[in-house]
Amino acid sequence: MVHLAGLPAGDLAFVGEIAAQNRIPKKFLDAILSELRNAGFVQSRKGKVGGYRLARAAEEIKVGHVVRVLDGPLAPFPCASRTQYEPCDDCDEATCQVRHLMLDVRNAIAEVLDRQTLAEMRATGVPELGTPDALVAQAAAH
Amino acid sequence: MTTGQDRAPARTLAIVGGGASGAILAIQAMRAGCEVVLIEKRAEPGRGIAYSTSEPDHRLNVRASNMSIFAGEPSHFADWLKRKSIRQEDFDHFYAPRGLYGDYVGETLRAAPGRLRIVHETALSVVPKPLGVEIRLTDGNTLRADAAVLATGHEEAASSSRPYAVKLGSKEDTPLDPALPVMILGTGLSMADAWLSLARRGQKGPVIALSRRGLMPMGHQGHAPIKLDRADIPLGTDLTYFVHWFRGLIRDVERRGGDWRDVVDGLRPFNQEIWRNWPASAKRRFFEHTKPWWDVHRHRMAPEIRERIFAAVDDGALRVVAARVREVEPDGEGGWRVRFQHRHSGRSETANVARVYDCGGIVSDLSQGTNPLIRSMIASGTGRPDLLRIGLDVSEACAVIDKDGQASDRIFAVGPLTRGAFLEIDAIPDIRVQCEALAKRLVGALAQGNRSA
Repeated sequence: MVHLAGLPAGDLAFVGEIAAQNRIPKKFLDAILSELRNAGFVQSRKGKVGGYRLARAAEEIKVGHVVRVLDGPLAPFPCASRTQYEPCDDCDEATCQVRHLMLDVRNAIAEVLDRQTLAEMRATGVPELGTPDALVAQAAAH
Repeated sequence: MTTGQDRAPARTLAIVGGGASGAILAIQAMRAGCEVVLIEKRAEPGRGIAYSTSEPDHRLNVRASNMSIFAGEPSHFADWLKRKSIRQEDFDHFYAPRGLYGDYVGETLRAAPGRLRIVHETALSVVPKPLGVEIRLTDGNTLRADAAVLATGHEEAASSSRPYAVKLGSKEDTPLDPALPVMILGTGLSMADAWLSLARRGQKGPVIALSRRGLMPMGHQGHAPIKLDRADIPLGTDLTYFVHWFRGLIRDVERRGGDWRDVVDGLRPFNQEIWRNWPASAKRRFFEHTKPWWDVHRHRMAPEIRERIFAAVDDGALRVVAARVREVEPDGEGGWRVRFQHRHSGRSETANVARVYDCGGIVSDLSQGTNPLIRSMIASGTGRPDLLRIGLDVSEACAVIDKDGQASDRIFAVGPLTRGAFLEIDAIPDIRVQCEALAKRLVGALAQGNRSA
């Protein structure tokens, strides 16, 4: 996404190009991009001049919104999700302080990620977060 | 100035429109220390269109337990009902008559601390001035205030595209022989209200209710909204993606023995945020295709009202059809010959009816509305319609945005007028939060203006 955000307006990027520049497997990138297309964050065009581009201005796309599409509900632990809740093996969730804390943690995560736009992320270029390969690698790690 | 350590002296806030939104804002602003001038042409402030009805069957669509004027004092309405000996308990299952709710808002307004002046006039224009705003009234007078909030609510006139249709209870709705057939355009909550009024008037003739999809509102039942966090909800996606997620969530909840209502109600705290984050394409598509479905699930009828409406449908007194009106001509006897085309079969049908009622919902082009103030604001460029033209363009802080995209620091809007920005802002539980937040911001800003003055 950050790679696409760096393109001049209207330009399309080839999947192969993004994959090579960011050193990630093309197949894997295909899957990610198709998810993002389904959610309406990127647009694609087929054929010789085809490729991907952002569906909206990078200023309008929030990082947290993209992460939800790729990773599902923001949740540091499976038990700290309301919609995709999975209890831990040996835990009474009603009294588990860890779960309560983790619910707060995820709300804080959402708070931070939903404030940051793709454009801001591109501009700041925080080394471990801002480079395209780090973002995709992060997505890949999940 | 002698403020010292004291609170800054109250500054004047003009509120244009004294329906429920305007009255609730007035109460909040007075509590926060403002002087309020409320401009409302109706005799009784606090009622507006929604709560002026004296029909006991015209009920709230929200439980009494969730209808307090103050979000922070949830039992305020229930306590009022108790004091009035209207009801003592079970406010979760009580859908109060709307006229009674108007009494409650009016009384709470009168009891609010601070200075309130009610001007029974219609505002023609609001003009920003170097030191506040100037409001011109129909009687030729001019009012000055430090800031103005527009709370003019929904369009009151019947749609100009249906000159043959009248609003129920308007002066055009003259007495009618109850044996004659009538038609209602719309099949939503307003249609239900209209049918209940007709039933009370002794309507014996057939009633046909007609809308594009023929969908009728669902009923309330139980109340166990699921708990959701913002982190659970996909934001900023396309509509299809969101709807897919939402349907999946309903399936999961129903599999676990829950009800779709629990999901619709659980999502409610996030509806404004979901709307705000959608791209323009999703907002447009929602309005064109999804909103009728959403509305019948989201804005539900009191269970006993739904039962009555459905009994009427079952015994044939009320016929609900999915169709579009194709042609309307006078039938020569004071009524109308209406030809309409059924949605699914494409078949044409003609009905002779003595009257056509406009209950066609509230979606209309703002700039085509009849409110002189809104028209003048758009004409002068002080305000502009939102993307979908369903309301005034406002910032997240309710500031009116002018034709150049600049948010005003002294003209604001609340209630249904801000639908373009917030979508769900016509029910009290949403309006009260909006009004309280705006009142606090305004008082803060006005006090600051005072100090620097």
